[in-house]
Amino acid sequence: MNNTFGTVYSNPSYILIAIGIFFLLFFPLITISEFLFFEPFIAFSIYPETTLSFLLIVILSFFSALAVSMNIYRVKLIKKTKKIGSSIIGTIIGASAGACSCGPIAFSIITTFGTAGSIASSFLSVYEIPIRLTSIGILGIVIFVTTKSLSRECKINP
Amino acid sequence: MANPKKIAVGVVAVILVAAVTISFSSYMSDFDNVQRSSQDEGKTIALTDVPVLGSQTATVTIVEIGDYQCPACKLWFDNTRQDIIENYIETGKANLVFIDMPFIGADSISAAEATYCANDQGMYWEYHASLYQLQQHENDGWANIDRLTAIAFNLGLETEQFSECMNSKKYFSQISFNKQKASTDFGANSTPTFIIVNTSGTAERIVGPHPYSTFEKALDSLL
Repeated sequence: MNNTFGTVYSNPSYILIAIGIFFLLFFPLITISEFLFFEPFIAFSIYPETTLSFLLIVILSFFSALAVSMNIYRVKLIKKTKKIGSSIIGTIIGASAGACSCGPIAFSIITTFGTAGSIASSFLSVYEIPIRLTSIGILGIVIFVTTKSLSRECKINP
Repeated sequence: MANPKKIAVGVVAVILVAAVTISFSSYMSDFDNVQRSSQDEGKTIALTDVPVLGSQTATVTIVEIGDYQCPACKLWFDNTRQDIIENYIETGKANLVFIDMPFIGADSISAAEATYCANDQGMYWEYHASLYQLQQHENDGWANIDRLTAIAFNLGLETEQFSECMNSKKYFSQISFNKQKASTDFGANSTPTFIIVNTSGTAERIVGPHPYSTFEKALDSLL
């Protein structure tokens, strides 16, 4: 497994892709989840109650960055796109949790869809942590399967 | 070339600031007399009917727009509000008003009504605090009528009077007025939203459960 990571990230462009994907997810997620504020002053705050949620965002962004960059490498090598779909699904599931609470997104959903919107928003808010954990689990499986697949299909010797 | 999006945002901001300025100029200058008629039941309802925490003659007013089922409002209540009370409200520099914007579910409306029913017995802020202290998940029944009555009982309110107030929907119009005011005049589209305004009408808008440092900067700039 270490060799697979070494092979993929020995190419600096994949490190850059991974870093780019990490920040592309991390900043929007911490903004939507109200850890980072831009107005009226730039402010960052983690309250004791939200520490776990913040850590899950960091893990989710990290796993997404790994899963997507490794799959880009894999696609370039063997022209199969199946696992990229799984990593994107995992990322979307994780990103959708926590975005709905009492922020502008939830307000739009509830005012547009009424009771159904309220139920959906409440579900995403109440089950934020299990949803993010599920998402991290999906991404973990994608990373594991991708590394296995790369070491087998590309004949990487341990 | 000017960005149309920026122009639109600028126009909205100007309208908002103007609305806040106009609204609060009258609110602050003639606190007891300004009355605005409600569409409902022909009853006169006004922003002046909203309870005030702190000195009514304070230089700065913090308007909090919130929903009792909103977890972000609870975060602010638990982590930031007390510091503001100690440093700005108890010192007479600022006061705080709460404008209900119940949108998360039916229990949000009942909870907002309950605070006004508690206000009939002089316990608005105590009830307000109890709701945030006891908040659970959205729409899971923690703020149903039975629980709201139990909270009133625990605070030592006369429960018969409280229940009568709740059952008669005495403050439904007030809550509808507050909600409309929050979304139209204050332009709130999420909770908590804060409008901090001073007596000269200069306002600062804060959206979300910001840390105390944000409020400190905003309040100090308006004092």
